[in-house]
Amino acid sequence: MALSVVDRPEASSDAELVAACVAGDSAAQRRLCMREYDRVNAIIFRILGSTRDADDLVQETFIAMFRGLPKFRGESKLSTWIDKIAVRVVFAHIRARKAAPVSLDVIGDVDAGGGTVDARAHAREGLRRLYAALAELTLEHRIAFSLYSIDGRTIPEVAQLIGTSTVTAKLRIWRARRRLLAKIADDPILGEFVRDVEVSR
Amino acid sequence: MKLDRLPIDVPKNDTRRDRVIGSVLAKVAAMQTAERADAVMAEPRSRARFAIALVAPLAVAAAVLVWVLARTPATPSAPPSAPSLVVTPIGGSSRFTVGDSMIEAGPDTSVEVLTAASGAVTLALARGSVECDVAPRAGRPPFRVVAGNVTVEVVGTRFTVARRPAVRVDVVRGKVKVVAPAGTVYVLPGESWPPVAPSAPVLPPPPLASIPTPPVVESPAPSQASPQAMFKDAQRLRRRDPAKSERLYRSLANHSDVWAALSLYDLAEMHGAAQTDRALRELDELARRFPRAANLEDAAWLRIEILRDASRTEDARRAAAAYLRRFPSGTYSDQAARVAAP
Repeated sequence: MALSVVDRPEASSDAELVAACVAGDSAAQRRLCMREYDRVNAIIFRILGSTRDADDLVQETFIAMFRGLPKFRGESKLSTWIDKIAVRVVFAHIRARKAAPVSLDVIGDVDAGGGTVDARAHAREGLRRLYAALAELTLEHRIAFSLYSIDGRTIPEVAQLIGTSTVTAKLRIWRARRRLLAKIADDPILGEFVRDVEVSR
Repeated sequence: MKLDRLPIDVPKNDTRRDRVIGSVLAKVAAMQTAERADAVMAEPRSRARFAIALVAPLAVAAAVLVWVLARTPATPSAPPSAPSLVVTPIGGSSRFTVGDSMIEAGPDTSVEVLTAASGAVTLALARGSVECDVAPRAGRPPFRVVAGNVTVEVVGTRFTVARRPAVRVDVVRGKVKVVAPAGTVYVLPGESWPPVAPSAPVLPPPPLASIPTPPVVESPAPSQASPQAMFKDAQRLRRRDPAKSERLYRSLANHSDVWAALSLYDLAEMHGAAQTDRALRELDELARRFPRAANLEDAAWLRIEILRDASRTEDARRAAAAYLRRFPSGTYSDQAARVAAP
């Protein structure tokens, strides 16, 4: 199972694109959405798993992005700024859903790799259990761990996205990892799934 | 096991991407329209302040009086509330109030409530429908619903605005002003916008032999419910009780009003690619019986989606080409062009 690579935008074109979007150029707005969609969708998917709310959250991220664009000063990369919005949207979503039972259903569009029907079903079940285990973590630990281990960010990137120091980010990832390892020890299916997908950094 | 790296593939789905981006752009356009409308409203007030500044040196007492009068409307009676987004799931609905107005967001709706400092309320409808019960606006800040390039301005009324994605306005009570690219019209109680063509020919139903699927439709329990209420019930039941929802839709589809056209569309959407032939028959029936219905463009795109989802690529391509011929600048023309491309 390979991590899909999403192109990062060229920094030099960001300012022009932002200016055109702010001026109400709908072609530029579409271009920006098309350019950022895969990465924003991936962040939301990798933190939450497959959820029916994903499309609404992507929309919410883009709307917040367009609202905030006039205030974007280019102090960070545009992509990082958008990723931060996506993380905030997911954060608010999980927090709002805390009172209500969170659906952990994997809709079934997860590409669990090649192989037999059995292998795919097994992988899907493993993925479901992984996200069930993640849902038991605290919100902060879950997001830090998902960004680092699943979305493949570096620790400084995680720290920037969640707005903490690198030490705090590292600590959250470490604590999440410790809880997950305890969970894996009791769940052979989850353990097998993690062994199958894990690669070394 | 270090759990350092657990790469999970993200499924790609161009249809979902296009739908999400289309919806975002529509909403952004609605927001911009609302902002422009607010700017237009703010302009006369600026001019009034300028005039007051000229008069002031001439008569101090009068100027003070004018200043007080001119300042009053500029001071918001209540702090502007933060914009909020209401999103309802398919089959769900949500009721909320904006000031003394009651809003009901229908199923699968995304609507944003924007309150300007002046007190003007704008509902930016990205998709779905809102039913609004608004107190008379005489002397009060305006209440508007913006759905794409259509703005519905309220005079004091009860009305529904639906965007699926063609925009439709139904007025129950009072009067609304609809500002659309084609012009401005007032819609009165019992009327709809765009107007339903009363002369749309209703062909006799096809012979039973040509309808192989179960359309022996059990009529719902005799009820006094209006077609609109039945339609809303059918929408509400789509996920919870699809069989009952389908019966209600079918019953409505047997009529010859706007609700029949909407019901045929919803039936086709319900059956989708899982029951392709049935869905296509419903779309055929819609096009045949209601050649001037407001949702024909949506229906044409739905046909493409159903064919594509059913892996009938060539048929989807032909349907996309037909869509582009009929709606060259339609809402879905970009997506249709992609499907039509060899």
